[in-house]
Amino acid sequence: MGLSKWTDPYGLVQKGDDKLSGKPGIIIIGAGIAGVHAAESLRKEGFRGRIVLMDRDGQMPYDRPPLSKEWLTGEMDSASLLLRDPAVYEKLDIDLKLDVDVTSIDPVRKTIDTKDGSSYEWDKLLLATGSGLRTLSIAGDDLQGIFYLRGMTDAAAIKQHMQHVKEAVIIGAGFIGAELASSLKQLGINVTIVERSSYPMEKIVGREISAYFLDLHHRNGVNVITDDSVAQFNGDTMVGEGVTVEGRRIPCQVVMIGVGVTPNTEVSLPHLEIDGGYVVDQYGETSIPGIYAAGDCTVWPYNEVPIHVEHWDHSLNHAKTVAQNMVNPQSAPYSYTPYFWSDQHGSRFQYFGHTQQWSKTVLRGSFESDTFTNFYLDDQNIVQAAFLCNQPKNALPVRRMIKHQKAIDPEVLADERVALKKAVWSQ
Amino acid sequence: MADSKGANPILDDTYTYVCASSELEEDDLIEFETGEETFVVGRGEGNVYAVEGICTHAYAELADGELDGTCLTCPLHFACFDIRDGSVLEGPAETPLRVYGAIEMDGSVWVSTKRG
Repeated sequence: MGLSKWTDPYGLVQKGDDKLSGKPGIIIIGAGIAGVHAAESLRKEGFRGRIVLMDRDGQMPYDRPPLSKEWLTGEMDSASLLLRDPAVYEKLDIDLKLDVDVTSIDPVRKTIDTKDGSSYEWDKLLLATGSGLRTLSIAGDDLQGIFYLRGMTDAAAIKQHMQHVKEAVIIGAGFIGAELASSLKQLGINVTIVERSSYPMEKIVGREISAYFLDLHHRNGVNVITDDSVAQFNGDTMVGEGVTVEGRRIPCQVVMIGVGVTPNTEVSLPHLEIDGGYVVDQYGETSIPGIYAAGDCTVWPYNEVPIHVEHWDHSLNHAKTVAQNMVNPQSAPYSYTPYFWSDQHGSRFQYFGHTQQWSKTVLRGSFESDTFTNFYLDDQNIVQAAFLCNQPKNALPVRRMIKHQKAIDPEVLADERVALKKAVWSQ
Repeated sequence: MADSKGANPILDDTYTYVCASSELEEDDLIEFETGEETFVVGRGEGNVYAVEGICTHAYAELADGELDGTCLTCPLHFACFDIRDGSVLEGPAETPLRVYGAIEMDGSVWVSTKRG
């Protein structure tokens, strides 16, 4: 991400000074992917008032996906993790406040108070608080060498600790656990994943793809234990082994726990609807007029059904759209196809759409070749989601297909002789 | 690649043969490599263009994306670039793509490995 080369590609830096001085402006709580892109988009939309972007973290805003991948393996340096060159905030006149904890919000006086005793006025407020990690309570989990990976501080501690590690235990075979396993294997460490269920991520990708992942780990020398969980850690000061419920003893010098995330909705107010996240309409506005929310912390309408996703791509796009609506109310309904990607063991996976109740799946390609696209169709033969393995060429046609929501012949989908692009247009 | 390629049309020898004109239809993208560099060549609105083949945002081969008119979309995070001058049309990319000279002559497409 050529940070030193930032050349204001979108023409965001305003010329002249016609700021609405004295007006309270917009406050954004949370400077992750959503907060930073919202701030930038507000300027892009022509907002010239004050923008305050605050975060309880003390680090300059950075990108999280590489923490479990290129940054951990040393292929990416810390400077490259920054979402924006620090000079960008100044250029765009974004008042970045780090190490700031919000203590209360007054929606009538339109103020927020922070732990350091400061008070800020706002005209509109954006909650971009992201998500936090689910945690486990396991006997012995106060030993050294047991980590959760959420942010830069955890990642740095893990990286430092890794120098003494030959064997690792990862709890949870979700995407984060799987990426960590792949990265650690790349560093020459023996990895055992302990997964509570029989088929990890089955609800999202289905049993066949889950089994494919288990096989992929196996082929790459990662030991996966399913239907079991760690009951206890043993060690003197540092963790030395994990003991499972089924009585397995797994020697390890590091443990990483990745058992999912949960939306950060600690900032709450009477009348602010929270139901698995801040509930927002298609414009990103919460149940309180003037208060918006974007990204991981929200529940938003997808094809008119409220859903919650924790995807980098959604956070970025949601933030951009919500910023548009903050400047020009109800001007841009959020129309977006959920998407995430994951890199593991040299393979690239991409998932589009959102469904947990498909009626059939169609496989195009083969598991044996590690090159396939698996489609999830509803009872009307409409593609609701697709999982791509090493087929980036299918990404854009698949995304269009899901957006169109039109029935398609499953036999055409499975037939690799028919170009997917053509299959989409013949719908 | 076709056997019927013509002679290198450029005397200083910086141009490399890519494909026959007929192999590059409207909105097609073709990837090719010389030495350590990867390029993507596309035909947009009738003309041929060449830019660097890897997205400036994160590792993804742009030949796996799509060309619509002169807008080149990356298949990983959907950044859009103008294939004519490499400029960023839509994020998350911030850095423009390097542009290379591309010409079409006597039914063949050639690309200069020197930056355009």
